[in-house]
Amino acid sequence: MGSLTRAAPTSFAKSFANRPQPGCATGLVNRGFTHCFWMKISCIIVEDIQIAADFLRKFCEKSDLVEVKGHFLNVADALEFLDRERVDLLFLDVEMPGATGFDLLDSLTYSPMIILTTSKTEYAFDAFQYHVNDYLKKPFTYKRFLEAIQKLQTQTAEPAPAPSPAPAPQQPATITTETDFLFIKSEDKLVKLKKDDILFLESMRDYVKFVTPAKSYITYSTLKNMEEKLIGPIFLKVHRSYIVNINKIDDIRGNTIYLLGNQIPIGKGHKDEVAARLNIL
Amino acid sequence: MQKIRTTFVFDESLNSTFLAELFEGDTIYAETVFEDFLKDLPIYWQRVETAYNSKNLPALGTAVHTCKTLFGYVGFTDLQELCQQFENKCSVNTAEELRVEYILLIQRKERAQHIIEKEYDRLRLFNEGR
Repeated sequence: MGSLTRAAPTSFAKSFANRPQPGCATGLVNRGFTHCFWMKISCIIVEDIQIAADFLRKFCEKSDLVEVKGHFLNVADALEFLDRERVDLLFLDVEMPGATGFDLLDSLTYSPMIILTTSKTEYAFDAFQYHVNDYLKKPFTYKRFLEAIQKLQTQTAEPAPAPSPAPAPQQPATITTETDFLFIKSEDKLVKLKKDDILFLESMRDYVKFVTPAKSYITYSTLKNMEEKLIGPIFLKVHRSYIVNINKIDDIRGNTIYLLGNQIPIGKGHKDEVAARLNIL
Repeated sequence: MQKIRTTFVFDESLNSTFLAELFEGDTIYAETVFEDFLKDLPIYWQRVETAYNSKNLPALGTAVHTCKTLFGYVGFTDLQELCQQFENKCSVNTAEELRVEYILLIQRKERAQHIIEKEYDRLRLFNEGR
């Protein structure tokens, strides 16, 4: 069970927080909060009970503030979608067949806003641990739904609080793309890593693990952030949770990459790119 | 002539205060939800029976959990509580120990299903007459 501090929210949250709100007068206030959004919050619903999902979709449409990009009955299907497309918000059930909502949170490579929807209050502590934005106990009313959206509005409009309880002051890795090395903040120092020495990177929610033959380093960042900064000929994202150094690959068996004793899965959505980049004939 | 609007009054065994908040007077949507409930409940309840008969207590707890949620959407808040208690017991009791409670749950579920069937018919007639 993770207890990591959530990273800064994604597009909607950032754009909302920085967004000037001209004309946001009280006359525009509707159902208790302003309709000064320049764009709707995009969301998906991960829920195995159709009636519950239908209610949520209806509430989203009624509010005219939240756009539902999809509804998924299980975690696997939701992750497959999230591998291809980003959303601002997840409405996430906890108990579902196959895997729980918390399993999904563990697999995410970025940090959308999360509203847990469950009929069990026992998950409140876990919700707190995962730093979810809100917790709706099913069945909930439209009024309660709006309160949750309003809470998101307030949270994203305020400056992001310092991560707490963060294990140590952490900063994203400092990467100079023009060099063959990079510095990552790990524990209490900046560690210099030669790009060539890195075997692979593994997402650990709001942290990334850099694995080298000698040692592993964990830094406070996201795999997406690393992906953007490690663009180049030797690194390739092969799964939503892994970026590998293609020079270090020993062999590939089925959907698994073998790399100095490590096994890395190839994600469904990455197969074509892997085949293209590795010149698989 | 001005049409007189009447309010639909739910069966007294349902939590009408909560249903009023949930549907906000939208009896058309209430009809849809009640219809969906009647379609979905037998499917979910089948999982309860399968899990109980195979003495798979974790699966039984999960299946009852799903039914509990479903009961909530049609206003059976008391039945939700009973399901919650049963669900909790699934992690500490055996199927044999849960037999009496299981039978009680079946009886309550059948009664609930019967009430919702009647409520669905009433809602349909009410909406047709609007």
